[in-house]
Amino acid sequence: MAAGSLRRGHPLSPSVAVSTSAGTPLADAGVVPVSRKPAGGGRRDQVGSLLFLAPAAIWLLAITIYPVIATFRNSVFDETATSYVGLNNYKAIFSTASILVNFRNNVIWVVIFPFVVTFLGLVFAVLTERIRWSTAFKTIIFMPIVFSATASALIWRTIFDLDPHVGMVNAAVQTASDWVNPPGLYPVDVSAGQSVAALASSGLSPGASGSLQSTSTAVAGDTVELGLIRINAATLQVVGAQTAVPPSPSSGAISGLVYRDFSPSNPTVRGQLFPDELGLPGLQLTLLRSDGSSAGTTATDPHGNFRFAGVGSGSFRVQLDARNFRSGFTGIFWLGSQSLTPTSHLSQTAQALLSVPLVDLAMIVAYLWMWAGFAMVVIGAGLTSLNRELLEAGRVDGATEGQIFRRITMPLLSPVLVVVVVTMIINVLKIFDVILNMAPGSSQGDASTLALAMYNDGFTGGIHSGLSSALAVILFLLVIPAMVSNLRRIRG
Amino acid sequence: MKPRILPIAVIGGLLLAACGTSNAPTSSSQQGGSVSLWAEWSSGEQAAFTAALSPFESQSGTTVNYSSKGSNIDTVLAAAVAGGAPPDVALIPDPGTLQTLAKQGKITDLTSILSGLSSNYGSAWNTLASYNGKLYGVWFKGANKNTIWYNPAEFAAASISSPPKTWEELIQDAATLKAAGVTPFSLCTDIGWPVADFWQNVYLKTAGADKYNQLSAHSVKWTDSSVTTAFTTMAQLVGTSSNLAGGIQGSLSNAYPACVDKVFPKAGSQPQAAMVFEGDFVATEITGNSKNYMPGTTGSGGASCTTDPSATPCYNFFDFPAPSANSANSAAIQGAGDVAVVLKDTPQSEALIKYLAGPDGAAIWAHLGGFASPNKKVPASAYPDPVSKGIAQALVGASSFVFSLDDLQGTWEKNMWQDLLDFLKNPSNVSSIEATMDQQATAGLGH
Repeated sequence: MAAGSLRRGHPLSPSVAVSTSAGTPLADAGVVPVSRKPAGGGRRDQVGSLLFLAPAAIWLLAITIYPVIATFRNSVFDETATSYVGLNNYKAIFSTASILVNFRNNVIWVVIFPFVVTFLGLVFAVLTERIRWSTAFKTIIFMPIVFSATASALIWRTIFDLDPHVGMVNAAVQTASDWVNPPGLYPVDVSAGQSVAALASSGLSPGASGSLQSTSTAVAGDTVELGLIRINAATLQVVGAQTAVPPSPSSGAISGLVYRDFSPSNPTVRGQLFPDELGLPGLQLTLLRSDGSSAGTTATDPHGNFRFAGVGSGSFRVQLDARNFRSGFTGIFWLGSQSLTPTSHLSQTAQALLSVPLVDLAMIVAYLWMWAGFAMVVIGAGLTSLNRELLEAGRVDGATEGQIFRRITMPLLSPVLVVVVVTMIINVLKIFDVILNMAPGSSQGDASTLALAMYNDGFTGGIHSGLSSALAVILFLLVIPAMVSNLRRIRG
Repeated sequence: MKPRILPIAVIGGLLLAACGTSNAPTSSSQQGGSVSLWAEWSSGEQAAFTAALSPFESQSGTTVNYSSKGSNIDTVLAAAVAGGAPPDVALIPDPGTLQTLAKQGKITDLTSILSGLSSNYGSAWNTLASYNGKLYGVWFKGANKNTIWYNPAEFAAASISSPPKTWEELIQDAATLKAAGVTPFSLCTDIGWPVADFWQNVYLKTAGADKYNQLSAHSVKWTDSSVTTAFTTMAQLVGTSSNLAGGIQGSLSNAYPACVDKVFPKAGSQPQAAMVFEGDFVATEITGNSKNYMPGTTGSGGASCTTDPSATPCYNFFDFPAPSANSANSAAIQGAGDVAVVLKDTPQSEALIKYLAGPDGAAIWAHLGGFASPNKKVPASAYPDPVSKGIAQALVGASSFVFSLDDLQGTWEKNMWQDLLDFLKNPSNVSSIEATMDQQATAGLGH
């Protein structure tokens, strides 16, 4: 139950704020007024105020204090909360790599998010003060905060989708990448485990930097037959492949054929030209001298035939250029768990603690989009309440705008900035819904945080209330410093 | 509690029977009365089930009070039994619940009631419905997870005339498909359960049903050599990234049913792979994509399948193959099903269970589609197409039948999924994954 209260809004700060202050009003109502107002009616007032306080106090006890105590109690019990297990749940948490991952992710969020969102909020707040359509701009920046976090997470999951036909980010990268580096007629998607070398079927071997070249050398007057496999039917249609024609020799030239070495009538036979095999048109070829230099270029015709005319003496190899097989951009798995830090050589525990999965950063970007508006509004309110005379005094004294911002605005704003940072620290310590909805199942384990682990262990599938409660207690302890600092600030 | 509940149940049943008789039609051949029946089916399935029951109602004059309890029927039923108000008959999706109820004496021994009808089912099914050698249930509906779905046009493009029958042929066909430029497999591993279904099939086919049930109960360790065999066998297919549409990375972002759509695309797009593995429910996804998809290996009017999905594309499945060395396991099936049990022994509930054990009701639902019966007597002609017929025939002929292992793992099911995904990400890391799994199984199951 405490777990439930931890998940939404800012339950921790208000709940404890109220519960600590709950003691004070009681004392005020009971002891202090009596000593201050000994005159008639004191006792009746006291009883009256206690009576009025009672419902709220009982309500608080029932929904805040009791769940907190019950959570502490359950954290030292087993999965069904029936038998006492001491600190075993805590030991399990700190010795299991897959649970330590949650701490690491919380650290990543806390280290990056609050500061970046405050910085963005500050930039937006300062800049919107100076533009004409500031209300419209502020509205747009602020809008995401009124969307449900679940809806936003689902939107961003689509934006970051691996398939460029679906994901906007990959579509943008694809457009730029294909413009710079147009894909070849026979693309090989290396990221999907394909390789150019695997295309070589007969008479071909891997050449320099992603090209293929004929295995044997040829001299003028020779013919060369080169077979490729793994060319799919859709590609053949696109390039307009026609029946392969055996090359005929001509003097002074090296002529040849590049064909699809897959015969529908003999699907498992390689290296033999069958009548139902197709030539591969449009392949860019280079004739290589024995020293590797180019002796000419050509391309195959619709039947897959080519001819290098006027070949001098010496022996040559035919190269199928790498650009034929250049793959288009096929997408970056933004929501994957591949680590940005090189940790694959480390032990499992070290990996759990030190790797930084890409999905964390993608989710942080999405969360920035959601919360930058909030930071902007709070900081903007701080800006408007600044003492303008100080700024003007600075301008009169000849300070540049940059100096005024650094030396006057920032120091005056710092209390507001600290409040935003601390509020955001509390916010991301409890981060839950974005991860649940944005990280795909395959990377959810690597993206999970304490709050999500607590939910998964306590409320889905096989339930382990002890472990879940222990996680809740740890999360509670982690939030306390930030919470106390905020309370002090509010009081002071 | 037990001695008190049973008389109440009997009296309740008698009262119901008495009330029913007074309202029943006057025909003497009819039994009349009413019977309460719980199952998980709602909406379309409920309509089909109700249609399947209507001959029983009209012949016996008994009113069936059907109540849909959704997917948590196990919990609801356990509460009703504990509260002393169970239905007369219930269809439960879990043999474990049948065992528990039989052990508690809450369900009726059907051995003599069904003496003439139990032969409608193969021994694998009767064993699953028995406790201590006595028959307690009737498997009315079965689901088959032994199915690999393939696009016949893609197989034709690689000149593969008939689908593979052994694991070795599957690996060989994958190579042939690749040579023809067709990616063999589309994997749905954005999430854990499809990879668990896949792994469980491989384990069942390599180690057999007995080992499977022992592993499920963790009396075989996850570090056992049979587990290693399953992992290395599976790695022959999924360990090679080029066997998978989009490679490993693409598979890890491939959600169900997006993986099905890559093999059976909507009109206007090209298939990106030839095969996809999941249970018989894939058929619904395929026909949902395009009404043009025809079940079987040839299109309408005998036209051959084509890669152009706007013409007459087809879909079909083959049984998940076993390695030739383990051919004894080739008819072992992983799946699910609904078993009918009697909680109140009244003449009406006996009549209903006999009807459910016969072929008539099942044949009606089979004809309506989306249904497969393990009952031998349901005629093959009851099924509307060759694919659903094939699914049912596999169920009828099952040499052994096991349920999804992950569902029985309690608290560590999610860890198991994650471990299997870790195996996909790094298929050479088997021993460390096995050690982790065994540790988690011990912690999760308490032994």
